[in-house]
Amino acid sequence: MVVEFSLIVTLATIIVLMACLNGLVAYLTLFERKISAYVQDRVGPNRAFFGIVQPIADGIKFLLKEDVIPAHVDKFFYLLAPAIALGTAFLAIAVVPFGSTLPPPALVDHRPGSTTFGKMVFPSVTLELEEVLQADRKFSQDSKTPSYEEKLKKYNATFQCVVSPGVDIGFVFVFAVGSLAVYGIILGGWSSNNKYSLLGSLRSSAQLISYEIPMGLSVLGVAVAAGSLNMERIIHHQVENGWNFIFQPLAMILFATAIFAECNRLPFDLPEAEQELVGGYHTEYSAMKFALFFLGEYTHMITTSFLIVTLFFGGWHLPFLTSPDQTGLFAILIKVGITCGKMLAFIFFYMMIRWTILRFRFDQLMNLAWKVMLPLSLLSFLALAGLTHFRPLGNLTPWVMPPISLGLLLGAGLLGLILPKSPTRSHVPNLGHGSGGIGPVCQTNQARLEKVEF
Amino acid sequence: MATVYINDKAVDIGDKRLNLVQVAELAGVTIPHYCYHPALSVVASCRMCLVELGEKTPDGSVQMQPRVVPACQTPAKDGAVVQTATSKSKTAQGQTLEALLLNHPLDCPVCDKAGECKLQDYSYQFGFAESRMVDEKNTPPNKPDLGPNINLFTDRCIMCSRCVRFTREISGTSELHIVNRGTHSEIDVFPGDPLNNKLATNVVDLCPVGALASKDFLYSHRVWNLKTVDSVCPGCSTGCSIHIDANKDVVYRLRPRENPLAQGYFMCDDGRLGYHYANSKNRLSAPKIRSGQEWKETGWKEIVSGIDNDLRAVAAVNPKGVLGVLSPFLTVEEGFLLAQYLKSLSKDARLALGPIPVTGEDDNYPKTRNGQPAKVQFTIRQEKCPNRKGIEAILQHFEGKIVHLRDSLQGEKAEAVFLTGGYPPSTQSWLEPNLAKGISKTPLIINQDLFENAVAGQSKYLLPAAAFAEKEGTFVNHAGLAQGIKRICSGPRKGRTDGQVYLDLLGRKGLLHAFSLHKEIASAVPCFAPLLTMGPQGVNLEKGS
Amino acid sequence: MIKPEEITWVKPPTFGLMDQIYLPAIISGLGTTLGHFAKTVFGGPQAKVTQYFPEERPELPANYRGVHRLNRDEEGRVKCVACYMCSTACPAHCIDIVAAPSPWPDREKYPEVFVIDELRCIYCGMCEQACPVDAIELTSLFDLTGLSREEMIFNKEKLLSVFDQTVAMGKDPVRTKAGRLSVASEPAGDGLTDSSSVQS
Repeated sequence: MVVEFSLIVTLATIIVLMACLNGLVAYLTLFERKISAYVQDRVGPNRAFFGIVQPIADGIKFLLKEDVIPAHVDKFFYLLAPAIALGTAFLAIAVVPFGSTLPPPALVDHRPGSTTFGKMVFPSVTLELEEVLQADRKFSQDSKTPSYEEKLKKYNATFQCVVSPGVDIGFVFVFAVGSLAVYGIILGGWSSNNKYSLLGSLRSSAQLISYEIPMGLSVLGVAVAAGSLNMERIIHHQVENGWNFIFQPLAMILFATAIFAECNRLPFDLPEAEQELVGGYHTEYSAMKFALFFLGEYTHMITTSFLIVTLFFGGWHLPFLTSPDQTGLFAILIKVGITCGKMLAFIFFYMMIRWTILRFRFDQLMNLAWKVMLPLSLLSFLALAGLTHFRPLGNLTPWVMPPISLGLLLGAGLLGLILPKSPTRSHVPNLGHGSGGIGPVCQTNQARLEKVEF
Repeated sequence: MATVYINDKAVDIGDKRLNLVQVAELAGVTIPHYCYHPALSVVASCRMCLVELGEKTPDGSVQMQPRVVPACQTPAKDGAVVQTATSKSKTAQGQTLEALLLNHPLDCPVCDKAGECKLQDYSYQFGFAESRMVDEKNTPPNKPDLGPNINLFTDRCIMCSRCVRFTREISGTSELHIVNRGTHSEIDVFPGDPLNNKLATNVVDLCPVGALASKDFLYSHRVWNLKTVDSVCPGCSTGCSIHIDANKDVVYRLRPRENPLAQGYFMCDDGRLGYHYANSKNRLSAPKIRSGQEWKETGWKEIVSGIDNDLRAVAAVNPKGVLGVLSPFLTVEEGFLLAQYLKSLSKDARLALGPIPVTGEDDNYPKTRNGQPAKVQFTIRQEKCPNRKGIEAILQHFEGKIVHLRDSLQGEKAEAVFLTGGYPPSTQSWLEPNLAKGISKTPLIINQDLFENAVAGQSKYLLPAAAFAEKEGTFVNHAGLAQGIKRICSGPRKGRTDGQVYLDLLGRKGLLHAFSLHKEIASAVPCFAPLLTMGPQGVNLEKGS
Repeated sequence: MIKPEEITWVKPPTFGLMDQIYLPAIISGLGTTLGHFAKTVFGGPQAKVTQYFPEERPELPANYRGVHRLNRDEEGRVKCVACYMCSTACPAHCIDIVAAPSPWPDREKYPEVFVIDELRCIYCGMCEQACPVDAIELTSLFDLTGLSREEMIFNKEKLLSVFDQTVAMGKDPVRTKAGRLSVASEPAGDGLTDSSSVQS
């Protein structure tokens, strides 16, 4: 009985959140199409009230189109795949705060002589809990501060803009559930019994698994800084100490890159590279089942955007405007607005990147994950862990991290210049970016090319 | 021993009497020519084959003649030196071509010859790119009534006179003449004497340009769209070697194929124009079973098992009641498979030779206008079927004797008849009334034919047969020459080739490939042993190897 | 064939430090895309390239390859001589012709049936190039629609009506005066100019 759970409030939150998400996804498609159009000097959807009704029309179309199930598919998994894709996407958003939150109060051990004295504890035995609570009450009486139980009461009485507030494993839950989405993709591709689908899903599994590692490592620093995995606490930490992206810019960049890959967005959209794989893993899907995949992907985008906003950009916090003490309805609305605004800004960034960077080749993608992002995130985390432990500059210690990040980045770049290129690329004539020379170079041409020194 | 040097390449011609065109052919060098044809006399009228000629003197020096000579008219002799690629020869050829094209209308887009036209080919290879003709071309009127099957586009003619020589030397009917003089020369017939002999349409093949056109083929297709296979004309027992030209399962024309073992260079109009039944819409198109008065179209699986069960039932009770009628339109392979099948039911099953269609008498060419006998060069035979000899050999092997259908019907009563047809409609009443009457008494008739025949109504099974362009196999002509026919059309969509049906009845797996059955046939029927060495010109079974 | 001396070998661009770090390149790229974005959003109508199609008709170049037509000669007869050159040249095999002896004394052959499957056609214009009498031409009609596949298979009458329509619109004039099969196939006196022009 740490955090109280109210069925009605939770259900209401879920319903409102789901409805908003679905509506948001629908309008994100319009948003995406409009932005794509503007970047390409076009107008974009402009029929049906300047495109405003377009998503609704699209939705109706998805529902009414013939639902084709090809004869050659593995029907059970074929039908299961979109459900998994969407289900995991929705599950992941359960712990992501989308507005005003308070950190759940910490139970601090004030028992004299305890090994964990003065530290946050999570007693698992009722007897021990009682002891700790008693010590806490005594301490609050002594120090004239609100006790744990009082804080908890206040916390439970306040509405938290999370479906399930106070989950201590926090973003680990998001990663765990979010990475299940790969099952949807793999099942979809495999059960379709189609080589393009299968290739797409295989690429996807390799990509998602590879990028999960730098993603997890890059946010470890955030957890260490905040001292918790709980996302409300992480927000609170940023409210008190400044946003994480200022102190851990390299982690932020690595995390942003990784979530691009996790969401199958350009420049890492290899699982559904239209030019190479028809439609990738959802080639054989039509009508509403395709729409479910679509919905899942956009939900994933929204989740990850909320996540990066929470972890690195202070969540609902905007300096000089919001503070944890404001808990009125108006304040909640403002905070929801701020969070969603940040999230939408990041989605806008997503979409701009789509038209800025070309798709990576698969080997480039893997090289980036394993040879660049993984070492960088490890080094960055090591540096942060060391700084947090030794605190060489006292209270100014966090400010050491940005120069270290910049140094790591520059060092990686320099290493890239110095180190020899990978063998696959050095012996084949390289005709510039992207055209890595794997194409058919006829014998005479190749001989000629080899004479030229690159 | 005589040695001729063609473009500095020595050719040993032995003691053969050849002209320079033929010798050059041996050397792999083509000397262009229009009027020369190996089957016709040499006139050297087109002047296309002009070459430089010289002689190698005993001391090794070469003495060239100052002028160019027509290669077709120049006999090859020992030590002759021919230069076809020198500038002198090339100029001569180019100028000849230019002269031939002076009055040619160049209406290739509407000319049926385009694509296989020697004028086009040689213009491309040897001609000049531009014409220097400034005067108006002669445009004599076309002669659509030259003959019942032949159209003359007079302005396209280059006066090679091949057609005239053909009617004089091969058909002997001498209908064609050259009238007028100089650039106004034309090919023509006398009024009231059209070009209507039975070999007439050969002049269309002989014509090196598009002047003479077959009315049957006129404007029906462009030649480059046609696919060609080597085959044998099924029209009579001469068994002329032919090319079948077809596209998209439609036969468009038959052309004679040069074969010294068979008929030579030509074919008759009866055979040439007698292919239309293969394209007919009235052909039987799907296998049918009759029960009572009801006809039912079914799949081949049921048909084959039905026939097999019915025949086995009859053979178990009355082996002699099973009668197989082998049509002379079946190939050797088909006859062999069917005989093998029927004999596998019972050793006592009877086989008979189907009716042999006969029309008139053997028609020999050349005809003579003055009644004097001439050496026969071409014969249209009275026996209008391609493979009597082959089927007879099969019967001889399986039955021990050749039994005609007439005789076997008079013998023991037949309980089941496997009747094979394949007769073209020109032999419409091939099943004479008394034979039909005899067969129709039989309770079980399996009837396989191109068209509905006299006993179609009484048959239990009515199967579509394959026409000659739709099957492969071997025909044996009147002289015992076995030649292969090949498939180019797929026939009715629901049909199956005769041989395939027999193969299925035998319970043998796979698709029929007639020529790979030769080994089996040769070992079973010794007289077919030479089939194993059969080449594109066929092999004579009687003369032996 | 390209001669070796005509080849200019260009060295591939090499990565500098800024390229290795990726981020500066991404930021400059974002500058480009954002620039276009801003230009389109705030630049007013002239900044957008979109054409409002059914309301605004595009200005097509004269050599645009749209729907086919069969030209008529001066007497209004179909110019085609059924030579099959177009159907032979056609890479999509969409032209089907049945030839017949022509009903007119001055011509030998004409198309009894001339069918183009406009759905199968790839509008490459090879038929136009192959035609020896300039009888088939591609017009600038581009918005071809139909409710069924059968409707999109154009027969001779339909193709001739396309000629009537486009010539009446004035957009696609008959492009060449050629149309003679050859000098000899024309009435006397007409051939002189043609052959003399060959000589000059």
